[in-house]
Amino acid sequence: MNDKRHDRRDVELDRYFALARQASPDISGVERNFETRLMARIREWRAEQDSWYAWAWRLAPIFLVLTILLSGWSLFYSQVRPADPVATLASGTQEVALLTNLTGD
Amino acid sequence: MAVPDEDADLVRSAIGGDDDAFTELVRRHKGTVLRSAARFARNPAELEDLGQETFLRVYRDLRSFRGEAPFGHWLSRITVHVCYDALRKRHREEKDVSLEVLAAPVADPSTGNGPSAQLARMILDQAMSRLKPEDRLVITLFELEDRSVREVAELTGWSETRVKVRAFRARQALKRYIGGDDER
Repeated sequence: MNDKRHDRRDVELDRYFALARQASPDISGVERNFETRLMARIREWRAEQDSWYAWAWRLAPIFLVLTILLSGWSLFYSQVRPADPVATLASGTQEVALLTNLTGD
Repeated sequence: MAVPDEDADLVRSAIGGDDDAFTELVRRHKGTVLRSAARFARNPAELEDLGQETFLRVYRDLRSFRGEAPFGHWLSRITVHVCYDALRKRHREEKDVSLEVLAAPVADPSTGNGPSAQLARMILDQAMSRLKPEDRLVITLFELEDRSVREVAELTGWSETRVKVRAFRARQALKRYIGGDDER
């Protein structure tokens, strides 16, 4: 009983598909001068892309100067940075130990 | 139908910046693309969008066309992907669509009785709008465009097993929707 019901539904669905296949969609309105509208959109897209490139090129020198400034700044500060305090302390201790050893104090 | 070699020449010219060559490619293939996209579009404006999006993607990716398969095959794959993207985008907004129209009886197409082909398409469209996008894509290509499982797999980039499973699930769901015992 249930199987028969399923068969009936399969047949019904296939009928829908068969009918829908016959209904070829009407594309004539969209097809007319489609390429003209598309090329207009492509030109628009290209202009957009070009403006992005133009901006990227315009901003390139600014980024270059910024990079140079940042590199110089980090180089300068790495040179004037005080030595590691632990190392300083350790080297002081060695000196005291040597003096103690030599003088016997 | 365009000769594949001629298409390849046009593609080469279009890559070189020849707009006329690209326009010629569009003129040759727009019918196929629009007919295929029309199965997924709800109205002419949406069809126009799908068509334009497809060819815009073709234009953008033209350099990636290696010419190993005919241009038409490559174009069909892009069309399918554009339509699938559109289906996914609108899936949420179509979930609560009314199915009252599905009460219409359907007759044997060979007898000519019952609803017209247009009505059947409308009823199917409504029922299919409730399917998951991937199910809808597969069942459209499989049943309405009469493509084989292998073709659908090639167009979507999915495995044949996945295509078969999707088609089966879509049929089951459509039978429920059209039969009127949708439990959701």
